[in-house]
Amino acid sequence: MKRASQPTETPQVGRSIPRLESWLKVTGRAEYVHNLRLPGMLYGKIFRSSVSHGRIKSIDTAAARALAGVHSVVTAEEVRAIVPDPYYGPAFHDQPVLAVDKVRYVGEPVAVVLASDPHVAEEAVHLISAEYEELPAVYDEVEAMTSKAIVHDVLKPAGTFPDLKHLQGKKNTNLALDFRLRRGSPEAALRSAHRVFEHRFRTQQVMHTPLEPLVSVAESTEDSLTIHTASQSPSFVRIEIARLLGWAENRVRVRVPFLGGGFGAKLYIKLEALVSVLSLLSKRPVKISLTMEEQFFTITKHASTFRIKSGVDATGRIVARECEVWWNGGAYADIGPRVTQKSGFTAPGPYDIEHVAIDSYALYTNLPPAGALRGFGIPQLVWAYESHTDLIARELGMDPVKFRRQNLLREGRPQATGTVLRDAETGKVLDRLATLLEWDKPFEKGTGPLRRGRGIAVGFKACVSNTSSLASVSINADGSCTVYCSTVDMGQGSDTAMAQIAAEVLRVPAESVRVVHSDTDVTPFDMATLGSRSLFLMGNAVRLAAEDAVQKINQLRKELGLAPDVPVPDIFKKKFGMRAGNVMGTASFNPPYTPPDANGLTENATPFWMVGGTGVEIEVDTETGRVRITRLINVADVGTPINPKIVETQLSGASIMQLGFTLFEKMQFDAAGQLRNASLAEYKIPGFLDLPDEIVNEAVSAEQKTGPFGAKGVGESATFGLSPAVANAIQDAVGVRLTELPMNPEAVFVKMQDQ
Amino acid sequence: MTPFELLQPRTLREAIALLGEASARPFSGGTAVMLMMKAGVLRPSRLVSLRNLSLEKIEVGSDGALRVGAMATLRALEKSAAVRAGWPAITRTLRTLSNVRVRNVATIGGHLAHGDPHTDLPPLLCVLGATVTVAGKDGERRVPVEKLYAGYLETTLRPGDLITQVQIPPMGTRRAVYLKCTTRSADDWPAVGVAVVFEPEKEEFSLVVSAATDKPTRVASVEAVDALPIESDLHGSAAYKKQLVRVYLKRAMDEARKPAH
Repeated sequence: MKRASQPTETPQVGRSIPRLESWLKVTGRAEYVHNLRLPGMLYGKIFRSSVSHGRIKSIDTAAARALAGVHSVVTAEEVRAIVPDPYYGPAFHDQPVLAVDKVRYVGEPVAVVLASDPHVAEEAVHLISAEYEELPAVYDEVEAMTSKAIVHDVLKPAGTFPDLKHLQGKKNTNLALDFRLRRGSPEAALRSAHRVFEHRFRTQQVMHTPLEPLVSVAESTEDSLTIHTASQSPSFVRIEIARLLGWAENRVRVRVPFLGGGFGAKLYIKLEALVSVLSLLSKRPVKISLTMEEQFFTITKHASTFRIKSGVDATGRIVARECEVWWNGGAYADIGPRVTQKSGFTAPGPYDIEHVAIDSYALYTNLPPAGALRGFGIPQLVWAYESHTDLIARELGMDPVKFRRQNLLREGRPQATGTVLRDAETGKVLDRLATLLEWDKPFEKGTGPLRRGRGIAVGFKACVSNTSSLASVSINADGSCTVYCSTVDMGQGSDTAMAQIAAEVLRVPAESVRVVHSDTDVTPFDMATLGSRSLFLMGNAVRLAAEDAVQKINQLRKELGLAPDVPVPDIFKKKFGMRAGNVMGTASFNPPYTPPDANGLTENATPFWMVGGTGVEIEVDTETGRVRITRLINVADVGTPINPKIVETQLSGASIMQLGFTLFEKMQFDAAGQLRNASLAEYKIPGFLDLPDEIVNEAVSAEQKTGPFGAKGVGESATFGLSPAVANAIQDAVGVRLTELPMNPEAVFVKMQDQ
Repeated sequence: MTPFELLQPRTLREAIALLGEASARPFSGGTAVMLMMKAGVLRPSRLVSLRNLSLEKIEVGSDGALRVGAMATLRALEKSAAVRAGWPAITRTLRTLSNVRVRNVATIGGHLAHGDPHTDLPPLLCVLGATVTVAGKDGERRVPVEKLYAGYLETTLRPGDLITQVQIPPMGTRRAVYLKCTTRSADDWPAVGVAVVFEPEKEEFSLVVSAATDKPTRVASVEAVDALPIESDLHGSAAYKKQLVRVYLKRAMDEARKPAH
């Protein structure tokens, strides 16, 4: 494709340009780790635990080793020859490269077979057997608080996060973080409130289901390691692998091409430590590609329980709210403690409430680990507080929109932490939802077996903090531009957005900008591509780096005594006597952050707020309980869109993903912690036939003044409100309230029978 | 998946002979077999492809019956003008059977021989009174589709038997409806499938239930559903699935009463 790089005066942000990689993707030439084959490469297949909690008595690998074509079989014993303390994790160093002494969930990796032929490796896995002494297990997050079954003998915080330090060395607990926030006098305010409402809500464990399953390849020499991996956090992978090996960071190179979806599944260490150790042991390149089924045993979304209690005064103002949230983190903490705190502090919702108490608990259980999934815990919270808020409005006989409007947290008012809401159009989002739903007009609910209802919900989210992004922008001798950043394009369109931002500064067409993919030998540090942080943080870094490059060009121009209108190529020609050289603009972006005090309060909790609301019209088949969304409206404050078309698809995509979590997706475990539906034949995600007849996506006119050209993140905002909007609509249609996800036909039908 | 040999015989006799080996399995579209092999449920040492046996023909016989070669793809059946004209319920059923990628390669013979009660055509073909020709070591025989199933993923076919053709009698004045219900995504395996034939002259219904039951099962009336052997599974509890069967039977019967069918 021909891409002109002549200067342009046309604004580059705000253009709905097609994604830069779309041509590569539709012609099958985009790079994915799955397609990577290296000379001499071995394939690893994982043997997994069949019990949910047990001491490993023995692992018999003899038959597997004896199978023709098997290179080797590796267990924790061999791993420890390379990494004596083989535990990793972003919050706790709790997860072993391969199970050491104990297994803590069904599906945990115990051993790996290496072979040149993946089918041989897989066959050999069937020949491995292990004996376990089974231990008592715990699966429920609330039970885990008091359970005698203890998942980890000793807690080992990673040391990265100050609020985990007090957990160092703790024994006899499953609590991986107890976040506490107190604002005002919640207990007294609840006692003296005009009316008090209390409810309990639950969400289920689900999976990210990226259509490209997790995959990593490692190749090594004596003193260097290159990891090609489908990861959302290459910089973290480098740091953590270097730490495990006791190496300098510059000996570890992490390369990430395109990802076939991430959604939070591909963060931190997943297969990277394992393939690294296997490559160092075998002195061969090693690849592990998970099957779709194995992803269920790798990383999932937290199941949760949320007890929420509100006091309301005689005028319908919420005066106090008490939130108690239990997060089911599974056997390894992953980023769960961050979810518990970073999302936990928004648990009262986007409401202006004087007295607030929040207790948010990260818990270990004997289930597959849970981490971040498109919303970083927010959808679980919005599910509860927007169901609760709707219930209160109905109980008070108030219109749910009016009740929200009256209590909404607005610009300039402090959120529960004390951090003031800035550039967050909560009011506009709610108003636009009401307008698009024609909320004030009468709504026909039907009289036959099909009943109709409508519902609304609004949520908000803080951006994880403290984090930083670095970027470089090169202006080449011909005037073309290259962006170096470690943001990973996993389908969300970040390459295109970064190109548009750089192009806006450099006044060249966005299509002419080249974005270099993450390669820790080349691209500068970035915390990770997660939590809708990249457009704001990396977008700012790219903008600043591009401005730095422009400044350097202007400086050069001045030094060479050239007029301001001399084209870039002529500057380089003059400087180097030929077409040669480049200038490199660099920048880092690290917005201010103040850690919460002992009461969970801080004036600087987040660099920006995301606001997302959902309105639905639904049909309930009263004979079967089936719910069909006929009209879905997503409204969000995304600041000023960089690429309006991508904003629209991010909003619709996020809502469709949440639709699956709302109506049917659920990992179903039996009493022994065995997953009963670990395949896409039995774990269903939404297909085209599940889409609502009509989907409306709208970004309200807004500006994030601190964002790059007024923009901020958009990837998660439409996940916030869908589940409670549907529950609210079900109550509107048939008068029953569901308090657990998913709201599958049987759950709705049973509720209607109980009525 | 374990290594296996793939054989591609050109005659039916040869195919049946090659299937004589204990762990040999016939292979038509492969949509189910490959998944089962990947999951390690099935570990055949030999797959015998039926692709070169010239069993793809779809035709209406002089007796007015529809004859479908076992290797006709579900997509070919869906697109057949003859099927649409004479057996519109089959065309309608095929449009929501799995997805177009599966229909493009899955064959009717494989679909019937698989024995999964969650498949769509077996209950419909049962209620329409269809038969299959089965070729085996001892020659050919005709079997009603209704007699083809013994239980969950279990057929009455013997090792080495191959379905070669399906015969579906003409509709005459009969009107047929197949309805299914999924309880997870829309493209899920059905939790319930019901097939209904209405004979306007006699004001009579024939009813067959599948998916919720281990095999396509005839019921006399909606009331008789209570006695059906239905068990709880990942699609729903037994009680709920019985409710779905009752609701969908009634809806299918109402639909079949309408003259358009």
